[in-house]
Amino acid sequence: MDNSGPHTSSPGPQNASNKDNRHIIHPNSQLLIRLPTKEVRNIRIDASPGEKSINLGKFGSLKQKYLVGQPYGLSYEVQNDKTLVILPPRRLEELEETGATNELIVDGNEFVQPLTYTEIDALKKSGLHASEIIKRQIESHANFELKTEYSKDKYRKRKQAKFAKEITVLEPSLFNVTSYFFEKDPAKIMHLRIDTLGQMANLANLRPGGRYIVVDAVSGLLVATALERLGGEGRVLYMSESDTPPQFQALDLLNMPESHISILKQLDWAASDEDHEPIRAPFETDTGEYRSIGQKERYEKRKLALEAHAQLREEFFAGEWDGLLIAAQYEPFSIVQRLTPYLAGSATITIYSPFLQILSEAQAKMRPLPAYLSPSITEAWLRQYQVLPGRTHPMMSMTGGGGYILHAIHVYDDPTASSAMAGLRQRKRQQRERNASRAAEKSKNKAVLEANQDVEMLSEVDK
Amino acid sequence: MVPVTVTPGLEINNRFGVFNHTDLIGLPYGTKVSSRNGRGFVYVLRPTPELWTLSLPHRTQILYIADIAFIISCLNIRPGSSVIEAGTGSGSFSHSVARTIGPSGRLHSYEFHEERATKARDEFALHGMTMVELSHRNVCQQGFALLDEADAVFLDLPAPWEAVPHAKLAMKKNRVTHICCFSPCIEQVLRTVNALNRSGFTDLTMYETLLRPHEVHQVPKLVSIDSIVEQVKLHEIKKEQRRLQQVEASDKKRNNLKRKREQTEEGGPDLDLGTGDQKRRRDLDASHPSTAVDVDSTVTKHTLDPSSPPLNHKEARLAALATSTPMSKPMPEVRGHTSYLTFATLLPALNNEMVMEKNDDPDNVGARWEDTETTDAFDQLLASIPEDELDRVLAGQALADG
Repeated sequence: MDNSGPHTSSPGPQNASNKDNRHIIHPNSQLLIRLPTKEVRNIRIDASPGEKSINLGKFGSLKQKYLVGQPYGLSYEVQNDKTLVILPPRRLEELEETGATNELIVDGNEFVQPLTYTEIDALKKSGLHASEIIKRQIESHANFELKTEYSKDKYRKRKQAKFAKEITVLEPSLFNVTSYFFEKDPAKIMHLRIDTLGQMANLANLRPGGRYIVVDAVSGLLVATALERLGGEGRVLYMSESDTPPQFQALDLLNMPESHISILKQLDWAASDEDHEPIRAPFETDTGEYRSIGQKERYEKRKLALEAHAQLREEFFAGEWDGLLIAAQYEPFSIVQRLTPYLAGSATITIYSPFLQILSEAQAKMRPLPAYLSPSITEAWLRQYQVLPGRTHPMMSMTGGGGYILHAIHVYDDPTASSAMAGLRQRKRQQRERNASRAAEKSKNKAVLEANQDVEMLSEVDK
Repeated sequence: MVPVTVTPGLEINNRFGVFNHTDLIGLPYGTKVSSRNGRGFVYVLRPTPELWTLSLPHRTQILYIADIAFIISCLNIRPGSSVIEAGTGSGSFSHSVARTIGPSGRLHSYEFHEERATKARDEFALHGMTMVELSHRNVCQQGFALLDEADAVFLDLPAPWEAVPHAKLAMKKNRVTHICCFSPCIEQVLRTVNALNRSGFTDLTMYETLLRPHEVHQVPKLVSIDSIVEQVKLHEIKKEQRRLQQVEASDKKRNNLKRKREQTEEGGPDLDLGTGDQKRRRDLDASHPSTAVDVDSTVTKHTLDPSSPPLNHKEARLAALATSTPMSKPMPEVRGHTSYLTFATLLPALNNEMVMEKNDDPDNVGARWEDTETTDAFDQLLASIPEDELDRVLAGQALADG
């Protein structure tokens, strides 16, 4: 990657040059680990894992080397000696109806669970397996047998989340990475939900070989989506506030091979101004001679960077970009307006905002302009269901919203073209006028008639 | 919107005018093209899977962008992916997948209806979708004729549960793979969940997704109710003033008449009938010294008042626009349900080496997962398949290889 491209904070996983190797954990890989509590934690494998450990607090700690070489997606039980045991896939179990109800269960009874915190702690310290601790808890639970099977199942699951040392290494997919941010720190990705992101990718027509401009204030999630969908072919141009490489946390988590990232270039907003002369330090000494080898190298590096920057600007100004994707903290229409000259005909414009109002205003500005075909706003709606045998229903809580998308297609106007509707309207107007004059004639006659009738009616009243 | 294959000599003739295909050649995509008779125009757009979905010839119920985009995200479909789809239907989903997997990917599409299969095959060829391989085949009965091939499977079938075991065979075993079953009815979901669970799929999730379109309106700035309170009060005053004026006028008239009569008849007492009202009028004027001015300025401020001086139509519209803001509301009629999307994951097949301790040879890491040769779990899986079925699958595989 040359100097004008952004750098990810990590050098990227080793062996990642092989495209078909992304399903395996490598040294340097970023991991998303799901804990028994369903919390997902981000951990990076060291460049040389050696005997280094990953500490998961009360869920134990494990040696990194045991994860290296494993495929993503598996679940493990963390052992006390920091090794791992792979857990076989767990099936959903059907629960047998027993006819038990909560009729006899007293709410808020504190004395049903006689195992105290210290006793449980002692059991844990004795190295007893989680399943054994839960079994003892159930045995000492006064009302356990009174519970319904569903309630028993819930109890077991709750205890498992507390004591089991089971972890799952999630695959670094856009779905998992987006979900991770959405749950952990939604503000970082402007509350952009995965279904909305997926719709943006489709609406923008992201495809291998395409060239796209991306304005990203969502920790690189939009840039990462574009890179993932381009698969190393085409161009992703990231518009930035400064010329320093941005921190793309979301991109790091995807463990993308270098070949995918190499098509990403960064252009600062000042450089998007055609009249702007970038101010840069000199890359040649006045005399053409250098004080030292170090200075010469520095100047040569500068020169390369400057050339790359100039070349990128040329590429940008040459235009014909296939799409513009925006998830930014700036007024979206100002971005669209500034970049429209560089968009190809039929290019897609796809804007995200967590606020409907922002997009409504942008839409109102775009609608009268002939360069934007049918700017429209959509909101993604997503409902998840619990699918346990005999217990299928929508989740009791759901996300309130996934944000809004404003989408339009860039077109070239032809001011001389008159719309069929205009022609139709003209014909209709003529027709109306003809009808009106005819109707006027008629109504004149009718008015006379009615007047006569009125007179007749009046005369009747008089009588 | 109509899909058009540019063919010199042909014409497009619709309510937007007459267009000659030859005139379109050489134009950049996105061009607004005026009709030959000067009445009406069209935009010539670059075809995308999204536009195709909106204009394709329907042979079946089709998937729309909300479901398509979500499924592609959840199944982690990306350039180079190998994807299975059954059935092909009208090809709405196929086009999106083909675009996303690109030339380096592979879409194995299955359709059991022969005529639909032929039509879809022709369409794919016409659209240059070389990454799609379409088979006329009933996957519920005959399976997919693939082994360890797919990264993702999408089943849009009346009985997806029948195809689930076959799908498992066709999916890669050395990595996480995903399946999605698309069914409109909850009863289908329950059977599918059961089949997925029994076949060893995990992480079963189910979603419904929709797109809510919003329409933007220019809404004039809303008037505060306080001003209406004042307006009604002023109206009251105005009304009373008008009444008093009428009383005064009629008094005057009567007095005039009376004076006339008195002038002719001479004498008689002066009967002042309007005294009470005249007093009230004086009081009213005293308590609202500038009533008349207020009334006028207030009514011009509120266009709601029917008695306001009539602005001309254009002026009124401009005035309203100047104070109006763009506001959105959901479209009045929207799609309420498409289908339930049931997702499941197939985890990498395990071998018997359960404790990782035994596998800390740093040179050998990952080696076990790179090959897709048989593992114990896979052997068990194969063993559980009826022999004739396995023969058929392997025969199909041989055919595909050959």
